[in-house]
Amino acid sequence: MKKYIVLGLLAVLGYYLMSIFLLVDFGLPHFAHGVKDVYLSSSKNILKVSNAVTAIVVNFRGFDTLGEVTVLFLSATAMSGILYKKRHDIGERSILFPASSIIRSGAKMLFPSITLLGIYVFIHGHLSPGGGFQGGTIIATGFLLMLLTYQNYSVSHNRLVWVESVAGMLFVIIGLAGYFMKGSFLENVLPVGELNDLFSGGVIGIIYVLVGFKVAAELIGIIYTILHEKG
Amino acid sequence: MVGSPVLFVAIPLLAAFLIPLMGMIWKEFVRIIPGLVLAYMLVLSVSLIIYIQSHGTIVEVISGWGPPVGINLVFSPFSGALTTLMTFLGLLVWLYSHKFKRNVDYEPAKKYFILLMLMVTGSVGMVLTGDLFNMFVFIEIVSISGYGLTSFFVRRDSAEAAFKFLLMGAFASSFLLIGIMIIYTQLGTLNMAEIAQRMPQMDYHMKVFSLIFILVAIGVEAETFPLNGWAPDVYTQAPGPISAAMSGIVVKAAVYANIRIIYTMYDLQGAYEYLLIIGLITFIVAETAALKQERLKRMLAYSSIGQMGLAMIAFGIGTKEGVYAALFLMFSHAIIKSLLFFSGSYLVYNKTSKYIKHVNGMGKYLPITAFLFTLGAFAIIGLPPFMGFWSKLALLSAAADSNLVILVAVILVVSIVEAVYYLRVVNRIFFFKKRANTKPEKPTINAMIAMLSLAAIVLVIGFYPDLVTGLIERAADDLMDKGRYIGEILSKN
Repeated sequence: MKKYIVLGLLAVLGYYLMSIFLLVDFGLPHFAHGVKDVYLSSSKNILKVSNAVTAIVVNFRGFDTLGEVTVLFLSATAMSGILYKKRHDIGERSILFPASSIIRSGAKMLFPSITLLGIYVFIHGHLSPGGGFQGGTIIATGFLLMLLTYQNYSVSHNRLVWVESVAGMLFVIIGLAGYFMKGSFLENVLPVGELNDLFSGGVIGIIYVLVGFKVAAELIGIIYTILHEKG
Repeated sequence: MVGSPVLFVAIPLLAAFLIPLMGMIWKEFVRIIPGLVLAYMLVLSVSLIIYIQSHGTIVEVISGWGPPVGINLVFSPFSGALTTLMTFLGLLVWLYSHKFKRNVDYEPAKKYFILLMLMVTGSVGMVLTGDLFNMFVFIEIVSISGYGLTSFFVRRDSAEAAFKFLLMGAFASSFLLIGIMIIYTQLGTLNMAEIAQRMPQMDYHMKVFSLIFILVAIGVEAETFPLNGWAPDVYTQAPGPISAAMSGIVVKAAVYANIRIIYTMYDLQGAYEYLLIIGLITFIVAETAALKQERLKRMLAYSSIGQMGLAMIAFGIGTKEGVYAALFLMFSHAIIKSLLFFSGSYLVYNKTSKYIKHVNGMGKYLPITAFLFTLGAFAIIGLPPFMGFWSKLALLSAAADSNLVILVAVILVVSIVEAVYYLRVVNRIFFFKKRANTKPEKPTINAMIAMLSLAAIVLVIGFYPDLVTGLIERAADDLMDKGRYIGEILSKN
């Protein structure tokens, strides 16, 4: 009986949600007049960033991105706190059966190119689709592949902490540089350069590279903690 | 100017990223740095409060884009007063737990202090921000640190509580996101002042739907009635100081968000009545539920929910006196409930089950702690001459001024219930024999300082309420004056 009531309530909720979304005029010319026009024109003309999404994420709403980076940092911290074991308690990596030699040689070949792709994606975040979060995730998948394939492959925990902390601090320091030099937090302090150049957009590219490093380090840390959880 | 509101977020984040590195140099840094940061935030907010009295509200632009294009932080008398309260409580929670966590390994201690510091930062950010999506980000920061801290003692029950909180919180986040999205599709902006200004243009259905989504989402954090199922579990299972931080800091920020949205952003008829009714239900249900609790922290949790209901009632009255009473209630509840959680956790220190019967006879062994708990209990019931009396009086007179006589009667009757369950505990502390298997634990010096300073505030404000009423009155004025809020922010462009 309880099940049917829940289903009924969910159906009512779903009906209302759908009817709201049908009311929204997605795609019509008058849709969402507002700040979007400023975003589109100034990311090209003032910030000289050809990927407008990156301009919005890192500059116009850079404060939110700093918050999102913190959210990821917090989740990693909280999770390793929950899964924390005393040193001598660390279990074997929980892999059910060893990888075959095909996977092992394949992983060795794929790993550098995955890492390279990840680095490419976050360095070109302001020029092409992608960016720090995506690039960092790609790098982390490369490490996941290695960790799953080789039982004895390990990542230095201290090094991860260093990368994570330094990248996060530099993000805040760049923000504070904007505050002290230009009077507003996260404001661009470097010359913006030419549109479509690798070195364009001032601090935007640099921040995205830092975000890439931070996201990669955090995700690798999370994967490492989960794989070592004592089952 | 002495500093700027953006430092409330930038400095703690810098410190949070720095702590793991400093911890490698000297392990004590992970305990000291959060305290220094929280102390700095308190000093900053006090000096900014003094600054805005002569210079008016500070609107801080971020990334160099004025509102509505960029994000902005608003340090007004209202948000400033709450910021000061939160950073002060955050500092005391840190002080209380500084030595309390001494018997804990280095790694969990590091996690604990980072999460605690960022929880306070997130709450401060929620209060300061002038941008709706930015508020969502800060709510995420607060809730994720909340999940982590709830499961700090890795036990079965605390994991269950944290998971319950996680489910509710994730649900709330997606609802909030849908609400924000509806607003953005209609008005094309996320700046709260501009949304408020252009709200009349919005389609009525959209307005109602988005408000429902947002209120459900924030209601989870603000512990309003049907959505507060997580709160008693979390308060029972989390470490004592974290329960204090939750009820004193996080819930206050959520109530702020609720009020800012209803009072400033929306112009809907009936929203005040919603606050009044939902607050009344929350108040009555929570206080009756508290009556039959057997665990001390669970009882305090229900009492905390009930007090938030009281604040919602006061906001729902909708007059300036009502807002004044609500802010006074929030202020006094934050101080008194922290005192109760602080002293209560020592009274039931050595038992994981934390039953009320474990406090039996503690008055003899922990006289000061027991006395402080009693002081807090009397103050929250609203006995004169403590701080709780003035806030409850303000609420009752605000209700009477608006001719809500039945409301006055209900509040007074339910207050008797409140008195019953608090006095029952006090009775057990002083007039029962100690149970054989309970072992009293002496509070550390830091905890004692934290508790005594809270008790001092309860007493001093009780005798001289004028010390804070001016501040609260300015905050209430600031909240009621919607036009000025919009004007101040949008003129920054």
